Amino acid sequence: MKPEHWLYTIPLRLRSLFRRSPADQELDEELRDHVERTTEHYAAQGMVWPEARRMALLKLGGVEQTKEKCREARQVNWILDLVQDLRYGLRILQKAPGFTAVAVLTLALGIGANTAIFSIVDAVLLRALPYRHPEQLVLLFNVPLQQPDALASLSYRDFRTYREQNRVFSEMAGNAFHDLTLTGAGEPFVVNTAVVTPEIFALLNAQPLAGRTLLPEDGQQGAAPVAMLSENLWRSRFGANPGLIGQSITLDMRPFTVVGVLPANFRYPESLPRQDVWIAVAQDPLTGPLMSRPGVGILGGIARLKTGVTVEQAQAGMKTLAARMAQEFPAEDAELTVRVEPYRQFVVGNLKSSLLILLGAVGLVLFIACANIANLLLSRATSRGREIAVRIALGAGNARIVRQLLTESALLGLLGGVAGVLLAVGGVWVLRPFVPPDVTQISSIHVGSAVLAFALLLSLAAALGVGLAPALLATPSNLQSNIREGGERTGRRGGHRVRSFLAIAEMSLATVLLIAGGLLIRSLALVTSVHPGFDATEITSAEISLPQFQYSTPQQWETFSRELLAALHAQPGLQDSALAAPLPMDRQGAASLRFSIVGNLPATPGNSPAADYTTVSPGYFDVLRIPLLRGRLFSEQDGPSHPKAVIISEALAQRYFPNEDPIGKQMRFGFPPNSDVSRGIVGVVGDVRNDRLSRRPGPMMYVPFAQAPLWGGEVVVRSSLSPSSVAAAIRQSVYSIDRNLPVTDVGTLADALGRSISQERFRALLLGSFSALALLLAGVGIFGVLSYFAAQRTHEIGVRMALGAQRWDVLRLVLGQGMKLAMLGLSAGVIAALLLTRLMVSLLYGVTPTDPLTFAAVVLVLLTVALTACYLPARRAMRVDPMVALRYE
Amino acid sequence: MSKPSDLVQGTLDMLLLKILALEPLNGFAVSQRLQQVSGDILQVSDGSLYPALHKLEQEGWITAEWKKSAQGRRAKYYSLTRLGRRQLEKEANNWDRLSNAITRVVKLKEA
Repeated sequence: MKPEHWLYTIPLRLRSLFRRSPADQELDEELRDHVERTTEHYAAQGMVWPEARRMALLKLGGVEQTKEKCREARQVNWILDLVQDLRYGLRILQKAPGFTAVAVLTLALGIGANTAIFSIVDAVLLRALPYRHPEQLVLLFNVPLQQPDALASLSYRDFRTYREQNRVFSEMAGNAFHDLTLTGAGEPFVVNTAVVTPEIFALLNAQPLAGRTLLPEDGQQGAAPVAMLSENLWRSRFGANPGLIGQSITLDMRPFTVVGVLPANFRYPESLPRQDVWIAVAQDPLTGPLMSRPGVGILGGIARLKTGVTVEQAQAGMKTLAARMAQEFPAEDAELTVRVEPYRQFVVGNLKSSLLILLGAVGLVLFIACANIANLLLSRATSRGREIAVRIALGAGNARIVRQLLTESALLGLLGGVAGVLLAVGGVWVLRPFVPPDVTQISSIHVGSAVLAFALLLSLAAALGVGLAPALLATPSNLQSNIREGGERTGRRGGHRVRSFLAIAEMSLATVLLIAGGLLIRSLALVTSVHPGFDATEITSAEISLPQFQYSTPQQWETFSRELLAALHAQPGLQDSALAAPLPMDRQGAASLRFSIVGNLPATPGNSPAADYTTVSPGYFDVLRIPLLRGRLFSEQDGPSHPKAVIISEALAQRYFPNEDPIGKQMRFGFPPNSDVSRGIVGVVGDVRNDRLSRRPGPMMYVPFAQAPLWGGEVVVRSSLSPSSVAAAIRQSVYSIDRNLPVTDVGTLADALGRSISQERFRALLLGSFSALALLLAGVGIFGVLSYFAAQRTHEIGVRMALGAQRWDVLRLVLGQGMKLAMLGLSAGVIAALLLTRLMVSLLYGVTPTDPLTFAAVVLVLLTVALTACYLPARRAMRVDPMVALRYE
Repeated sequence: MSKPSDLVQGTLDMLLLKILALEPLNGFAVSQRLQQVSGDILQVSDGSLYPALHKLEQEGWITAEWKKSAQGRRAKYYSLTRLGRRQLEKEANNWDRLSNAITRVVKLKEA
């Protein structure tokens, strides 16, 4: 071959950077051949060979460009291109480990936080309730006409009438929940029992794991008692024995035949701990006899809307029906109406607003992280200007370059996403003990496929969004200057503005987050410092439940309580003990009763006063250190055959006896049907926050246990001994009276207080962590931006110093630039916070959304951080040697 | 060299197909033949020729074969496929209709 031929091919082969696939080789050969023939053509026309060759090459134009256009025309190369881009991208990232590490870590923090919160959102809000068409499910309550929030249960007569006469529901069932004692299978123990009408299984689309569900026949009065077990109970107590179906178990001393097992994923109702046993209302020892009492509320209603019927329509329809009932049965139903609530809303409750705010907060964190990465990428893009210019000269189109840079960003995104998911999994594991129990009851929080998909999408979106601008900026129009100047000057003007904007944006977002976090932390601090009205230190409590079959009369309950208190006080260390039902912060909430004051005008319908009600043994107030304000506490003289007594709280005294001494006045109240019992007020005690720490104490009435006994209650003990020792002593006292009585639910009152603020604690913890993270990222961001600006001004600084500026002037100059950015961000953030924090008002306690103390503290913290972040670059600028700087281009 | 008229990409495809319909040629020869037959009026730049040829090959209208030429060197020869023949017919018909329409408008007598 001719020597010129070789001269031509060698540069071609050297220039082939990418791959040597056969198609590429062929293209090479084809174009080479073409140039050969063109050269011969010109030579034949009389040109000298080198001249001919030059003309031929000129005629072809750019060889690499033509090859690239041919490749593009083929269009199969996109897969190869992608693989090539990925490999190239990985190599680039490996070559800059510092940049890659910082970028991946920043992205991981942002993605991780978002993923963790999303997994909670997924568990609570998004994951479909496991029922058929869950959006059609509603709950039904009786409510007083004037108090639509005082949800109460339906009487059996009401339930049946509503079910038969309504026109808005396709299915309806009733349920109630309490405990029964299971005996005959090991030690007797208490089971959470769901008492239902059999239609509920069809309504909820419940499929049994084994056996069958309850049928309508089972719900008839006089039918053979049957029961379903939960899978948990079946496995833990009966060893998952399939032969159990058809066998009999004993609940409260009554035999029930087991007909089926419900699977573990059947969690109805989500708002309560798991139910172990399911029986029909007619056969329940407690509610069965009450079915015939028209005024006694025993069932909660759950119904399915007919297709096309909205909740509002159902509510209207049921209201009319309830009004008819009130007219027909004025004695029991006069002041009542019906309330219809969508089921999901009931389950999720006020979690939704908390979660949405958390999601918003964590989105801001991601924003800040992305801003940091965008800055990093901008710096990299300008320093890679030369590399990119060479590639363009070699034939890559602009589109190709942008595609390749975006692939790099996508790689970064994937790496960050994977790291973020790992962080999220770890984070969820660490957060588990702080998650409020309402959340975990609904569904277990884990990182499932939906969450992973979310993380993947988010990381790709973040990476591409962040990488787009630098990619576009990196394809400059002036090729020559780029190669010569090494690309340092490229995009400088545009980059400067973008960087400043990003830094200001980061600061403002961080400000908003810190203010929100600060407000929640202050709320938490205020709520925990609230005095509940009683002293919760060293108080251990345990629950005793008397089975109906053995203790069926109030006399038996009263006798038991007397014996129990005697046994407790005989134990060393348990002198300071009492009995109460319910205790403050009880999980089931407070019991509320309507009352009337003897001698006052009767209240207008719907306006009857009501108060929270507790029955207590005489030592209760001393054990809990509730102060006596007037009159006396209960004593032995308040026995069953003595005049009925009541102690009221300060709030009740002030509201209903404003200008008189309540001692000696009479009040009428009681559990239906004995609502008319007259009791004399013997004392006034201090207010107690018995429901939630964040709720102001309302009116309360206390009655002596001896005069108003219940079939169970809480033993409450003040002792310096550990709760387990106290529990053991309590058990001993109980067993000394009755060996078969279980003692359950041992805990401390301090824990119960903590549980009541679990939501506030959770929110403060999360938002506080996010704002700290945001602060860190924003600080790093400002540091990065200012370092870049200072480096760009090195030349200028050299000139200034040469002209006589002192080092301190330089420091002031750079610091000033940085602080200006910070102040702009801070101001924007404060204004944004003033506008946005009002969205949080339902989550705050004791602070307004514009609390000046919080705002001031946050501004101080941010200024300090900004100052620190600006200091280092400023100091470096200060140390610049003017001679070096002047020579630096 | 006279200035070549602008060739729209679509018509270039049709011209190349027609040239290759007559006999299989390599890229250089196609360009030469086009210039010859049109009397130097239609010239395609080399930078556009090869991408166009590759695109036609991608569409399946022409197929390529490496053949040893008389001088012993390898060259890529393109020839028309059956699909290509059909495409050529279609495009030729379109061109006819278009050029007739334009001629009619241009030939309108001034009032």
